[in-house]
Amino acid sequence: MKKYLVLILLSLVLASALAQVSLPREETVYVAGAIWGPATTWNLYAAQSTWGTDQFLFIPAFIYDLGKDAWLPMIAESYQFVDDKTLRIKIREEAKWSDGTPITADDYVYTFELTKKLGIGPGTGWNDYIEYVKAIDKKVVEFKARTDNLNYFQFLSYALGTDPMPKHVYENLEKKGINIRDWVNDDPKEQVVSGPYKLFYYDPNILVYERIDDWWGKDIFGLPRPKYIAHVIFKDNPAASLAVEQGEVDWAGLFIPSVWELWEKKKLPIGTWFKQKPYFLPAALILLYVNQTKYPLNDPNVKLAIAYAIPYQEMLEKAFFGYSIQAHPSMVIDLIESNKQYINYDLWKKAFGTADGRIPTDLAKANKILDEAGFKKGRDGIRVAPDGTRLGPYTISVPYGWTDWMMMCEMIAKNLREIGIDVVTEFPDYSVWADRMTKGTFDLIISWSVGPGFDHPFNIYRFVLDKRLSAPVGEVTWAGDWERYDNDEIIKLLDSAVSTLDPEVRKNAYYRIQEIILRDMPSVPAFYTAHWYEYSEKYWINWPSENNPYWFRPSPWHANTLPTLFGISAKNNPQPIPKWFETTDKGGFLIPTAKIFGDLQASAK
Amino acid sequence: MASRSIVKYLARRFVFLLVTYIVATTIVFILPRAIPGNPLAQILSNLSRVAQAKPELIRAAERALMEEFGLGKPWYVQYFEFVSKAFRGNLGTSITFYPRKVVDLVIPVIPWTLMLLLPATIVAWILGNSLGALAAYRRNTWVDKLVLNGSLVVSQIPYYWLGMLFIFFFGVRLGILPTQGAYPQGMIPNWSWTFVLSVLKHYVLPFSSIVVSALGGWAIGMRLMVIYELGSDYAMFAEYIGMKDKRVFNYVFRNSLLPQITGLALQLGGILGGSLITEIVFNYPGTGYLLFRALTTLDYPLIQGIFVILIASIYLANFLVDFVYAVIDPRVRIGQEE
Repeated sequence: MKKYLVLILLSLVLASALAQVSLPREETVYVAGAIWGPATTWNLYAAQSTWGTDQFLFIPAFIYDLGKDAWLPMIAESYQFVDDKTLRIKIREEAKWSDGTPITADDYVYTFELTKKLGIGPGTGWNDYIEYVKAIDKKVVEFKARTDNLNYFQFLSYALGTDPMPKHVYENLEKKGINIRDWVNDDPKEQVVSGPYKLFYYDPNILVYERIDDWWGKDIFGLPRPKYIAHVIFKDNPAASLAVEQGEVDWAGLFIPSVWELWEKKKLPIGTWFKQKPYFLPAALILLYVNQTKYPLNDPNVKLAIAYAIPYQEMLEKAFFGYSIQAHPSMVIDLIESNKQYINYDLWKKAFGTADGRIPTDLAKANKILDEAGFKKGRDGIRVAPDGTRLGPYTISVPYGWTDWMMMCEMIAKNLREIGIDVVTEFPDYSVWADRMTKGTFDLIISWSVGPGFDHPFNIYRFVLDKRLSAPVGEVTWAGDWERYDNDEIIKLLDSAVSTLDPEVRKNAYYRIQEIILRDMPSVPAFYTAHWYEYSEKYWINWPSENNPYWFRPSPWHANTLPTLFGISAKNNPQPIPKWFETTDKGGFLIPTAKIFGDLQASAK
Repeated sequence: MASRSIVKYLARRFVFLLVTYIVATTIVFILPRAIPGNPLAQILSNLSRVAQAKPELIRAAERALMEEFGLGKPWYVQYFEFVSKAFRGNLGTSITFYPRKVVDLVIPVIPWTLMLLLPATIVAWILGNSLGALAAYRRNTWVDKLVLNGSLVVSQIPYYWLGMLFIFFFGVRLGILPTQGAYPQGMIPNWSWTFVLSVLKHYVLPFSSIVVSALGGWAIGMRLMVIYELGSDYAMFAEYIGMKDKRVFNYVFRNSLLPQITGLALQLGGILGGSLITEIVFNYPGTGYLLFRALTTLDYPLIQGIFVILIASIYLANFLVDFVYAVIDPRVRIGQEE
């Protein structure tokens, strides 16, 4: 031990003459909130890869932009539908791996086959929806949708959005007998990537990526503006927030309490997406999950009463700083304009009597529903079902330490007791809570689901309602349907919505699903988590925002965030935002989803 | 004759250590599993939440992880796999930092822990024993009272509180010393004076807080020991025959040191575990901090791995002490022969 120590001290003294490595502040974007523990791997075949691998190192054929509902061709030059089940992607001539090897159709085929073989990797699960991936020639790859499980959304999302991997690198590993799932890929000199960044340095405290200055796409897209992306691994949220406030961080994806004070009171050059409430874009729908297997909690009348009893406005104001609005009961995220077409407004307005069909907080109404359903109040003020079963005691729980959600639980529990449901809060350790959630042994929990995307609201209906993702109570499922909702009609409707090219059929399926939701109230949509995103204009400007919405997924942790770095500029060297951020009809690169579906429909004839 | 008895003695100790080692690793295997919860929760919920992963991906990741960690297998199979791998030096893969190997996570943090705790423990030991001996030598003077009372107070302060006080006074109030980490966040470790200086600056508070808190215990122990030895027959005799005070004290001091050496050796053996609380309070990137993270995320392999290394090093220290004793203390050897 002592020898070791002496050695360290000696080398410290001897080597101290060497120059210090530090990053030039004006060329570095400092990030916070995307990674909280030491880096793991830069290998997408591992069960978890380090932040940045999916964001900056490897890029897909097309990246989706939520705001314009359009696709940015990155590795792909174009697409073509041979028929309505067959898609061809043309890879850009220029597209090369960072070691100079061209990116080819063979890389695509190899990537998908390896994922299938390992059971995990880029495009995990593709073979449920895609029959084959085939190289037509060196730069053209063909995808064929499976007709026995036709799902256009999944088909397109896998084909357009999967990152290809360098075949020559992985083949080499296989030859050497290295277990690919365990490969760390942490040597910057050995990293072979398709994106404009590469690993520069990492240790338990910091992670740094460096731009590849002769990146193959530089004549097409230009280069991303920051030379370095550095993410300090902060101890906790307060430490990271403090660094944002002090201007040490340029780009953050953090929950910051009373974020508006940073610019309103402290006059700092910091901003979020919206200048006013709710400040952040929505990230995912949060529901009050109600266990479907516990009688009488699973009585639709009880759940409707619960929905009326949630103090939506009050809890979002007091516990969540107004960072979200109440969710729409249809589960469709209507903050994104293009989603509104899927909401059956007539149904919801009639049901709840509000302007857009959102559920009002109304304890009198909740009491009335329970009275009429025959739930009589006992002497202790708690209701009893017609067959004599008492409504409770139940628990409403979130993990300990999630203070905003804990506060919401208290507020909901208080209202539920007022309408005669015996509910107390419980805040176990995170892993205990997660165990109950995924095993379906909870009573009531607040938890997440999925968010907006080009397959919305299919993705959310699937996550919350599709029993094929479920597991029997006591068995773990992370995939979805935590409340154990069981309805075959939903499955049929979901399948019809994704296997049709007729927008009307799809819309009608969603409308019908909403009728069922209103009837059964599987769980109660409560609010949206925020797409946490803060920027500082101390060193970098032109950040995407409400007034400058060139890219809609600007948070550093999001998988689609890369284009953000092409739009910002160093403060001392302002550059215009590239034209290609526009859609094709305005002279840009982005291809609207509607155009892709139009082409798909046309190819059927 | 003497060497044979030493071998016999050491062999017996070795067998004893081996048995207790197996018992200890078994406990290390059982305890984390007795905590309710799911060790995969962290990874899978990250995938589910942040990456907005598709259900297909989450399922595949869960399958891959269950397979990798053998969590689906019956407990006894997991146990035998753990023991047999541990004997071959394979401590498995961390869950939280998957797919990093436990060994790769533990080794890089060991130097930080050693660098902090080794000097701190030794300095505290030397200072504490010197003060204790001094107090005993000057019994019932103001020196003795100061050392005794000071030590009693300092050794009774809970360490985390002491650490917080240090942070509060030197870090926050006076603002002269950094309060957390081993070097500034964002700095890339490199061989430059700037870096070395900042490491030293970050070193001051955790180091001195350990020394201060450990010092008292040593001093009290040493003082008692010396007083006891001063009252023993040989010391009295030496005094009666008119030996110089200093000379007598020297003999006494050496004899009093014996148990203190045992204590030191055991402490040094435990060093690898890191001073858990020091490293949490100061956010110091050592083994203790790693253990803390492993415990909070229920990372079974990492918890096991750290403990296996820790227990092994404590036992090694124990064994060395036994060995040294057998060599330097004839009574131990003779005891074996009888």
